[in-house]
Amino acid sequence: MTGALTGFLEASVRTATPLALAALGEVMVERAGVINIGLEGIILAGAFGALVGAGGGSLVSGFCVGAVSGLCIAALFALFAVTMRADQIITGTAVNLLALGLTGALYRGLYGATGAALTIPTTGSLPLPLLTRVPVLGPVLFDQPAPTYFVYAAAPVLWWWLYRTHWGLAVRAVGERPESARVAGIAARRWRWVTLLLGGAMGGIAGATLVLSQAGTFAEGISAGRGFIAIAIVVLGGWNPIGVLIASLLFGAASALQYLFQAMGWNVPYQLFLALPYVLTLLALAGFAGRRIQAPAALGRAI
Amino acid sequence: MTGGYALALEHIARRFGRVQALHDASLLVRPGTVHALRGENGAGKTTLLRIAFGLLRPDAGVVQVAGHPVILASPADAMRLGIGMVHQHFSAVPTMTVAENVALGNHGLYRAMEARSRVTEIAERVGFTLDPDARAGDLSIAAQQRLEIVKALARGARTLILDEPTAVLPPLDANELLAVLRHFADEGGAVVLITHKLPEALSAADDVTVLRRGRTVLAAQASATDVEALARAMIGGAPPPTLRPRPNLPGDVVLSAHELVLRDSRGAARVKGATLQVREREIVGLAGVDGAGQHELLLALAGRLAPISGTLHAPAAVGFVPEDRQRDALVLDFSLVENVALRGAGRAWGRLPWRSIRARTAALLEHYDIRVPQLDVPAAALSGGNQQKLILARELDGDPPPTALIVENPTRGLDIAGTASVHERLVAARDAGAAVVMYSSDLDEVLAIADRLIVMFDGLAHDVPLDRGAVGRAMLGLT
Repeated sequence: MTGALTGFLEASVRTATPLALAALGEVMVERAGVINIGLEGIILAGAFGALVGAGGGSLVSGFCVGAVSGLCIAALFALFAVTMRADQIITGTAVNLLALGLTGALYRGLYGATGAALTIPTTGSLPLPLLTRVPVLGPVLFDQPAPTYFVYAAAPVLWWWLYRTHWGLAVRAVGERPESARVAGIAARRWRWVTLLLGGAMGGIAGATLVLSQAGTFAEGISAGRGFIAIAIVVLGGWNPIGVLIASLLFGAASALQYLFQAMGWNVPYQLFLALPYVLTLLALAGFAGRRIQAPAALGRAI
Repeated sequence: MTGGYALALEHIARRFGRVQALHDASLLVRPGTVHALRGENGAGKTTLLRIAFGLLRPDAGVVQVAGHPVILASPADAMRLGIGMVHQHFSAVPTMTVAENVALGNHGLYRAMEARSRVTEIAERVGFTLDPDARAGDLSIAAQQRLEIVKALARGARTLILDEPTAVLPPLDANELLAVLRHFADEGGAVVLITHKLPEALSAADDVTVLRRGRTVLAAQASATDVEALARAMIGGAPPPTLRPRPNLPGDVVLSAHELVLRDSRGAARVKGATLQVREREIVGLAGVDGAGQHELLLALAGRLAPISGTLHAPAAVGFVPEDRQRDALVLDFSLVENVALRGAGRAWGRLPWRSIRARTAALLEHYDIRVPQLDVPAAALSGGNQQKLILARELDGDPPPTALIVENPTRGLDIAGTASVHERLVAARDAGAAVVMYSSDLDEVLAIADRLIVMFDGLAHDVPLDRGAVGRAMLGLT
């Protein structure tokens, strides 16, 4: 029983990691007033980049190439949606389709139509000394691969940056009222670029995590809607990095529920649990959005 | 001797599409002085000041700061050179606190304590109070203006540009503000002030510059000119006759409130048992210091705020001209026709008769003398005065015409001709049988146009005779 529960919680955290990475990047982007629907494509590009980068046997180069791939897709999005003031939703959708097509074509071109089994290194779990020995939570939280620890650090750092630095204040002002930000001497578009690039790198790392820490291989469309789920997580988390961290764990748990039920031997159709995160996404967008916490006022508006 | 000027704009020209907003405008501001800039709506005052603050680039002309020619490519450039601006439509981020707004644009760590004490310190230095923890969106207009001034001073502004700062303030606050600006100038700063009040321009300012149709037509020391000369320079002729309210006989009660209790958006009780009646064919003037409950009372009378308790009787067709026209009365991105169609849209059904709405819009523009290039421009393309006229036209010319009209600061930001025409319309609506309730933070305006006066003090409504002294005392709760 405890074993199953620990396993479930451990799986929750593991599943939550790429979601949290992507969502933390997206929080920054949305606080600057941009809704990057292209996040799905960024994760996919990051996953493919990780495959290419890790092909030589280096995990570090896998994560780096993944991050840079995500950043490139984000730069493409920023070029259209920020500099050329195109509609953000349409641009994001186009970017998603482009990433899906591009990674698919490159994958087949480079690795053959069959997608023959590729051997790439994967991250093992990296148990933290002492902390792992904490009962229940120890192994759940501190016997994880490195990207999870990156998430633990990134959420508070991002919170601090948004609320305790003038740069964070500037980003929030750009998302609320870009005209006021400009009058205060803030380069509104530049901040949208900066947050998009950072968010793109985070999304790329999220994709790399899927490949290097979880699947161990690449498949076409491996992102499987995680970009959209991350956007829902940002809403559910109230555009706050700490809230986003908690919301990510909730979504991770929803995805991991299937493992728990299998472990408990309950006979429930697994498709039900596969659908759960998406149902939760809909509920988050419909039920919780716009209640008490308001979205950035200039979200989605070109400047 | 250009070197002696804190700010010098010389022979500035600027065009917007087909409209030449400025032909040849000059403004020379000496350090240590308050400089009044005057002109009718559309004369180019705001455009000129936006150039001085780096929000617009001139097509021709020279800008000099402290004797050096400069290119102001952005507000950041202007601020670096010590130029600060208080905008007619405020520029704070509404969801952020006062302290956060003041800190906006700085670098490094944001320390809330420091930001707070900085606000308090600057406010104290110039002589007013401002709560650093209040959300900017919840501030009254007077407090928002104080925030703008503190923002500019926090940046080390040596030249302050204010676009109609006193238009929105009750007389006491306006005098206080002018005293603050005078103090700032005496300490070596320079102040540029757009103001529509002629006596104010002469008494508060050292120098006066008048623009007409994009050209500087008068630049003089205030002591060397007078009200008539200024008015002539602005209009290029004799000023329009001032309006006198005609005696009339009020009819039946149209609006009535009994023991009305209202809360503001933050849940604080603002109106605490007000009782009043308004009859057809009368203009009831409403006065009160900032936050005395008049704003909530007007919203309730217009059907925009539900009472907590008490009874309220109002007709179905109430015209409403809210104080912040850009936020509450217009959708700036919509065309004029669409904005006209918005009236009563919440109750309307079915297909929109665009053809007739278009015709109605064209008629309104013609009838109310609203000058626009074409019907399909967005409302944002209109000057402030023309926006206000459009709202008034839409509300007054309803079908059927409104039996009651609620207006809040209807002439805010309007020039002499615009103000006169708004007053004329209000009186005409009254004579046609409407019950009119008007609030203005300019007490003289209320006294000039109202048939009867109600003063709000601490959430209660008091009937007060039409007498300046009596009203002033009632506004402060001294009876």
